[in-house]
Amino acid sequence: MTEPLNANPTVLDVSELPRRDDISRDFSKRNLEKSEEQLIYSKLRTLSLLSTDYEDDDEMTTDIEELSLPELSDASDSGDRPIEADSDGSRTEPIDAQEIYDLIAPISDPEHPLTLGQLAVVNLGDIKITNPTEKGQIGEVLIRITPTITHCSLATLIGLGIRVRLERCLPKRFRIVILLRKGTHQSENQVNKQLNDKERVSAACENPQLLRVISHMLSTCQ
Amino acid sequence: MPLTLEYTFEAHKTACWAVAVHPQLQLIATVSGDKTCKIFDLESKQLLATLGDGTHSKTTRCASFKPSVDFPTVAVGSFDGTVSIWGRDLTVDEEEDEEAGSHDASSTTGESDWELLAVIEGHENEVKSVDWSHDGRYLATCSRDKSAWIWETDDTNEEFECINVIQEHDQDVKHVTWHPRENLLATCSYDETCRVFRQDPYDEDDWMCVAKLDDAEGTVWSSAFEKFSEEGIVRLVTCSDDTKVRVYRKQKGAKKSNNGDIPPVPSSLKDEEEWVLEAVLPQVHDRPIYSVDWSDDGMIVSGGCDGRIGVYREVDGKWQVVATQERAHGVYEINCVKWWDGKVLSAGDDGKVKLWQLTE
Repeated sequence: MTEPLNANPTVLDVSELPRRDDISRDFSKRNLEKSEEQLIYSKLRTLSLLSTDYEDDDEMTTDIEELSLPELSDASDSGDRPIEADSDGSRTEPIDAQEIYDLIAPISDPEHPLTLGQLAVVNLGDIKITNPTEKGQIGEVLIRITPTITHCSLATLIGLGIRVRLERCLPKRFRIVILLRKGTHQSENQVNKQLNDKERVSAACENPQLLRVISHMLSTCQ
Repeated sequence: MPLTLEYTFEAHKTACWAVAVHPQLQLIATVSGDKTCKIFDLESKQLLATLGDGTHSKTTRCASFKPSVDFPTVAVGSFDGTVSIWGRDLTVDEEEDEEAGSHDASSTTGESDWELLAVIEGHENEVKSVDWSHDGRYLATCSRDKSAWIWETDDTNEEFECINVIQEHDQDVKHVTWHPRENLLATCSYDETCRVFRQDPYDEDDWMCVAKLDDAEGTVWSSAFEKFSEEGIVRLVTCSDDTKVRVYRKQKGAKKSNNGDIPPVPSSLKDEEEWVLEAVLPQVHDRPIYSVDWSDDGMIVSGGCDGRIGVYREVDGKWQVVATQERAHGVYEINCVKWWDGKVLSAGDDGKVKLWQLTE
């Protein structure tokens, strides 16, 4: 093996990584255990009490999702399963930045035995979500990534890994835009163009060698 | 004015990348991430054949019918770098149909009468677009390898000789399209330009770059020539990543004058013509536009990443939007739009091909 491009990256401790506050984590844990509370909450959901009326209220929405979307918890257990059971976008539960972060932060860096979250390649604050306002509309997930060094030749690969992860997990109604954070890479525009060219990405995903590398990167996603 | 959905072809289970329309017969070809090409009859809506099961090892990206009625032929380009040529022998069908007592040749044909005639190799990587010239003599192909190739063929469609390799583009060539009556080829590229090549009147195998259209601020995804225009005038519409649809016009009089207003052009432009940006069409899209087509009666259609279809008409020299269709394929992206008989065909990431009517 050759020397890593960036031999001594700054590493965040796992405990420093952003997560939901303890209360909601507690709820989602109970969801996982399929406790009685979950049943109660899903019953509540069928009463439409907790529907999209609360969309404007971020905190409320977050809690609702934690409570009312058992599929979410299931998905995090089984790697690439979609966030929602259906993929045709007929449902419009909003998603938030933390959910996206939780999907991509565990991806392994191609050259360090660390995750993109630990290396701060992906950061919660650099994820912007535009949820569709109406059923059947198109939303957007915009992620700005920060390569560990400005000449990182693996920036495209990292971006591709993030895109593959999200394309497999997110409902089809979300358009995924992946950009390098401004000023963090010497070939910023080239990498950005490549990462967001649908045809190139699609062809890259049919390259067996590349797919093997990406599968390896994604193997640390639960 | 809305578009009315007339029919949905459940063509593929994975993304449908393109739909090609036969210029004379009522046939379409669809290609997909499932690596096949399917042939449908536009009248009966029946699936006539599934081509290429096992022929291509990767996504089939593009297709084009040869303009010929006696021996339907389709070229299919794939991300595996090859182009396959498929033909159907009508004489066999007619005999079989007579025996079967059927009057509808197409609806009774099985898959077996489409046969693989040739596999063209040459491109280093993904083939992105294929198109037959108006008289069927030439086939143009293009690839991520930054080149577009012009192949000459004969009536059997089994032999293809590469007569020219166009290497003017700096990046992937995304799309190739021929003029409906002249040997004029437009190429669109990731390098954010569209170029026009004309056959050298003194050397049939030589193709000269006569225009470099570089107004787009992003990949130019596709282009289409106007079907009928005033004598001496050629128009081309392009669509690009910058969400714009642009119409270019070649001025009357082939050669450029010594007009000082025209900026210097690269040396590769051996024999420039005067091409000008005539119009930027009214904004319909807010995401990359992947496909554009010009109808026989002068209308333009566009479709792309935002899932929207736009239809434009020119009234007294000004382009107007006459119809838009939101979410034509639900939340999925549109990869290709084509005109057929005054109707619009759209191909989407949902694997479907939809046929739309324009209603007043």
